[in-house]
Amino acid sequence: MKKRIVITGLGTINSLADNVPDFAIALREGRCGIGEIDLFDTTGFRSHTGGQIKNFSARDYIPREFSIKRMSRADMLAFAAALEALRNAGLYPPPQEAAEEIGVVIGGGAGGLLEAEDFYGRLLTTGRENKFSTLSALFCASSADRIASAFHFGGPKATLMTACSGGATALGYARDLMVNGHASVVLAGGVEPMCRTTFAAFNALKSVAADYCRPFDKNREGLSLGEAAAMMVLEELPHALARGAKIHGEILGYGITCDSYHMTAPDEQASGAIRSMRAALQDSGLSPDDIDYINAHGTATPVNDAMETKAIREVFGRRAYAIPVSSTKSMHAHTLGAAGALEGIVSVLALREGFIPPTIHYQEPDPACDLDYVTDGARRATLHAVLSNSFAFGGNNTTVIFGKYSERGAADASS
Amino acid sequence: MHHHKHQDPAGRVVVTGIGMVTPLGAGKEEFAANLFSGKTGVAPIQSFDTASFSSHLGAEVTGFNPRDFISVKNLRRMDKTSLFTTAAARLALQDAGLDITPDNRDRIGIVLGTAFGATDVTAQFSGTLLTQGPASVNPILVPNIVMNAPAGHASIELGFRGVNTTVTHFAVSAETAIAYAVAAIRRGTADYLLAGGVDILSKFYYESLTKFRALSPQNGKEESCRPFDIRRNGTVVGEGSGILLLESLQSALSRGRVPYCEIKGVGMGASPTAPTAWPAEPSGIKKTLRRALENASLRAGEIQAIFAAANGDRILDETEARAYEDFFAGANPAPRITAVKGATGESFSSGGIRACALALAMGKNSLPPSVGLSAPLSELPFVKEREKADLVMTNAALAGISFGGSYVYLIFGQ
Repeated sequence: MKKRIVITGLGTINSLADNVPDFAIALREGRCGIGEIDLFDTTGFRSHTGGQIKNFSARDYIPREFSIKRMSRADMLAFAAALEALRNAGLYPPPQEAAEEIGVVIGGGAGGLLEAEDFYGRLLTTGRENKFSTLSALFCASSADRIASAFHFGGPKATLMTACSGGATALGYARDLMVNGHASVVLAGGVEPMCRTTFAAFNALKSVAADYCRPFDKNREGLSLGEAAAMMVLEELPHALARGAKIHGEILGYGITCDSYHMTAPDEQASGAIRSMRAALQDSGLSPDDIDYINAHGTATPVNDAMETKAIREVFGRRAYAIPVSSTKSMHAHTLGAAGALEGIVSVLALREGFIPPTIHYQEPDPACDLDYVTDGARRATLHAVLSNSFAFGGNNTTVIFGKYSERGAADASS
Repeated sequence: MHHHKHQDPAGRVVVTGIGMVTPLGAGKEEFAANLFSGKTGVAPIQSFDTASFSSHLGAEVTGFNPRDFISVKNLRRMDKTSLFTTAAARLALQDAGLDITPDNRDRIGIVLGTAFGATDVTAQFSGTLLTQGPASVNPILVPNIVMNAPAGHASIELGFRGVNTTVTHFAVSAETAIAYAVAAIRRGTADYLLAGGVDILSKFYYESLTKFRALSPQNGKEESCRPFDIRRNGTVVGEGSGILLLESLQSALSRGRVPYCEIKGVGMGASPTAPTAWPAEPSGIKKTLRRALENASLRAGEIQAIFAAANGDRILDETEARAYEDFFAGANPAPRITAVKGATGESFSSGGIRACALALAMGKNSLPPSVGLSAPLSELPFVKEREKADLVMTNAALAGISFGGSYVYLIFGQ
């Protein structure tokens, strides 16, 4: 029998909330975290808005016993979310013996680029050399290293870089590690800080909305960029049961595919997205009829939303029209490398608390996007399985399926 | 918990193809000829001016013509990491005799490791943004800023559509990618996976490494790359891509392919270490090696060779040597140790290139020399410079050790 991997801890900081309980409230209330950016000067850019975490101060979240010297904003956000997830899982402070077997898998994005931009800009414009040590947190593998070293985690580590699907890929790989016996607990998630380079890249591609994103709306004109850290404690079911951990949900399976089509544009035939969802269903042992809610990639670019709708219709057939589909990016913006993990938390909260989060900012229906996008506020619903899509630059697609935890079969799994 | 037997041919992962673009040449014939005859890729850097830097050596890829491997249409869109990766991936597919067809393309993929990605493109894009403003940036550069660009470009050029992942984990990026690919083949999510690494040299990246005092000559003496040697004084940075083609034993047998070797076990671990420091004590190495052997169901005495992580760094090489002295104290004979970074340079994702070297060595039953090593820091049975080591290898280990406290050991068997 396949090993069951459950979720025993959740932690996040994003533009809507700096902890999971407040995040759940914001999702239910359909709040918008997208606003004016003040992290850097947006003069000269097409857009001036995004899902920024405002007034972030690391010491509000990270106790003094941990050094934050040379940590990047990304490292600090990741650390804050990791601490919340570990506390939530009852693994902070980590029991010494267990720590040796705990792994860390993170979906990365810009890493310490925000700080590196200050350094590099100064170097280029003034020719003055300042401390190259600023660059020690530039690369995104740094966050996993900082977390593992701080908590003395001795298990496997990795940082997954599949751009906008990195967080989802991290959850899937963490599950692989446990299924293959390399760890019994893995802290897994994603982190993405805002920075000028990412902002400039998406502006240069003209794929950002001027004000805020409108997923699935006829007049959608692009995405809103955001930042977040989102972490989960994933654990083998018998391990979780043995220590009496509270179980929030289960990762049932994941699929990962590639478009082999274009570096930045999705394949309009949706082949990669279709295969990704089908692979996740197969891995989970579920049929399309088992899915109760789809947390869409839903970036609000004209091409993505139509492509994703087409893919859902193809995979789910007539049932596509009976499944609620929402893009919570309308609230917390597109958090790129963190998105798959953040939306994983959304999926787990929806399952655990029995609600479907809405797509906000929706005004005008698009004939190419004809599904139920939950545009009239959050709904109460009893959910058993939620499918979450993440598609990315490079043609990377990852789909993760989360299940409501049921004790059925738990006794078999622990024997 | 780490104990897993994989007797089922569908669960046994084998290497059936290798491809590489390296300072020792592109393609296995040229690479093997240079590697096993003790040539080095380390030389004064030609592609940018190092006059103002404290180091001048590098292991650059020279004489590489992307047109030999990549269509002109796609080539124009690729950065250097993507060119190296796509060429190495094509070579690995050719070496494995695997044609990509509409029937198999959804079951073929890539798991690529890169420590630093396209440092040249990012510096160029950010540099324009920071000095000339948002209106001046070149949108054509954008697709190549993301670290998953090489895997994406390779999939477009070569036409495979299955599992596609990019891993970054500093100096164990490629070993971690290979570990991921092994898991995916064992899990059955892909039939064939390209797995390995890529990294490149670029000017600002090189300058930064010199400022971090990561490179030879840390002590101001002669600049050189001397793994495990008492005169070592820092590493020499390199570049390139090395990629394996992995599939299940069952799949290889059904295609009538004789594998180079099997990946029998994977061990991964971490130990608390400062972010840019090499581990100074050997417990993390020993723990991870033990996990890898347990995963392979082997004992320490059953390993005949180690492809070391040593790169000429004062601390890394000392820690690695001490770990093996302890770990193999009771093994008779102790495994022979070779450190090929003296020839290939330290590309940080060198695990891909070293895995290719290991696969070749198992086929030849011969170990390449450790270029730069003539006065060893320990009594361990190193394969020294200009030495030829013919021995029957049943099992060999690939060592991955990174600054920041990360370890990956891969156990290869005949």
